[in-house]
Amino acid sequence: MKVAYVSEWRPDEAVARILVEAILGEPTEPIAPPIRTRGWPSVRNLLPAVLKHVYYGTDADALVVLVDSNRSPVYTDKDREGLETKEECRLVQLQKALAETQAQLPQLPTRARIKTAVGLAVPAIEAWLLCGVDRNVSEGAWVRALREGRVPYTKNELKVRVYGSDRAGEVLKTERSIAEARRLAQDIALLESKFPIGFGALAGDVRAW
Amino acid sequence: MIESIHFTNFKALRDSKVELGRFTLLVGPNGSGKSTAMQALVAAREPDNFPHERIVTAGVTAPQRTSVRIAWGPPDHDRESETSWGSEGAQVKVHRGSEPWKNGKSFLQDKARRLTIYSLQAQRIAAAVPLKKDMQLAEDGYGLPGVLDRLRDQHPERFEALNEELARWIPEFDYVLFEVPATGQRAIALRTRVGGHSIAAADLSQGTLFALAILTLAYLPDPAPMICLEEPDHGMHPRLLRDVRDAIYRLAYPENFGEKRDPVQVIATTHSPYMLDLFRDHPEEIVIAQKTEDNVVFERLSDRADLDEILHDTHLGDAWYSGILGGVPAER
Repeated sequence: MKVAYVSEWRPDEAVARILVEAILGEPTEPIAPPIRTRGWPSVRNLLPAVLKHVYYGTDADALVVLVDSNRSPVYTDKDREGLETKEECRLVQLQKALAETQAQLPQLPTRARIKTAVGLAVPAIEAWLLCGVDRNVSEGAWVRALREGRVPYTKNELKVRVYGSDRAGEVLKTERSIAEARRLAQDIALLESKFPIGFGALAGDVRAW
Repeated sequence: MIESIHFTNFKALRDSKVELGRFTLLVGPNGSGKSTAMQALVAAREPDNFPHERIVTAGVTAPQRTSVRIAWGPPDHDRESETSWGSEGAQVKVHRGSEPWKNGKSFLQDKARRLTIYSLQAQRIAAAVPLKKDMQLAEDGYGLPGVLDRLRDQHPERFEALNEELARWIPEFDYVLFEVPATGQRAIALRTRVGGHSIAAADLSQGTLFALAILTLAYLPDPAPMICLEEPDHGMHPRLLRDVRDAIYRLAYPENFGEKRDPVQVIATTHSPYMLDLFRDHPEEIVIAQKTEDNVVFERLSDRADLDEILHDTHLGDAWYSGILGGVPAER
């Protein structure tokens, strides 16, 4: 299966690929050249154009999008039911953008509809990479703390825990990210239980392909 | 390491103070004193080479003096130097604690001896050079073949690591080659990954040459203790800027890259919103130069109380470009 991976930067793509392949149970082939963004605002703004490009300009079967939540609100399914507006949740924003763009794309006889999957790392991909290593880091811990007006850990603190520094170079980050993602791939259920919203959404989307 | 510099009547810097860390990225409009701040460090080291009339703020007259006051940090924590210019010439004073220090001038000269302000020029980087012992990279990048030749001979493991990193930055090339255009001279070329062809430095793109020069600085075993980089993003594809940032961090935070050498204090300037974006997680490293009517104010981005609110859902580079962080050109 050929997949276009879109994330906030390169090491995150490697993590997304390993985890998607673990969920799928088969290898994927990333599109070339890869799509690169400059962080959350550009992922959000570019997503309709990216989906159109993947549909018209590549032979990819699927598009996987993975972003960090940072300090933006993260909603559980239960929370969503009671909320009138869900726009602030990045997961919801991306899902909505994809659905709207999919609806605009004509059904070509030569082209199957692009399968999509969206993940939200809460608050950052490094939290996923610490799953099973640091029991204090989880989606639940983050969401609870934010509701109480606390920040249980910063992105830079998570980076230090994963890479040994919050200024590690891309080579080290990629190496460490791949090593941790491979570990996580052995126990997807644990990652899904600790990050049920952001990773759960990704896993659910991929399983539905 | 320099903790702060206070400029008085130095060109555009009428009364300005900038605080520095191991790495500081200066952003601001043209003529906002970013390069002047770096030049002032050289002037402080060798004041006799900078006549007062050349550096004094326009409109400032005697008896007002020009001065550059430097507060030194670890390991010279209690020292402060002041280089000043007036009608009677230039003088250097250094204090240790509150006491004047007799050896102060040599302290300042020694500390700032190897300070280099790099403003790279592609043609100069590409130029063949006569081989000399202990060749250094000049401010414009001249001497690179000699520096790389020394690195290959004296630190082959670093030379190999540099080649590996080069191949990651610019995948069409995989190795630095050396040529002998004349007896005692060295030139460089890059080997193409596909086909193994040698491409002479003069035929390489500007961005490739700049990348090679910055990479070389980052892999030297003995870089200068303080380096200023004028627009290290110049000529680079925006996707390469993360690598440029990593090279700068390798200099400034060597322990994060497995290096055993002392940190280099790095000051860089940029006009690139893309470059600025890469330092979003470390706003303490960003200083915005704000031009006022007759002065320049340096403001550390992390000192803004509303920064998290402003950057919540926005690229740092876009926020800066918009003007809401300051440091943009005035308009009429």
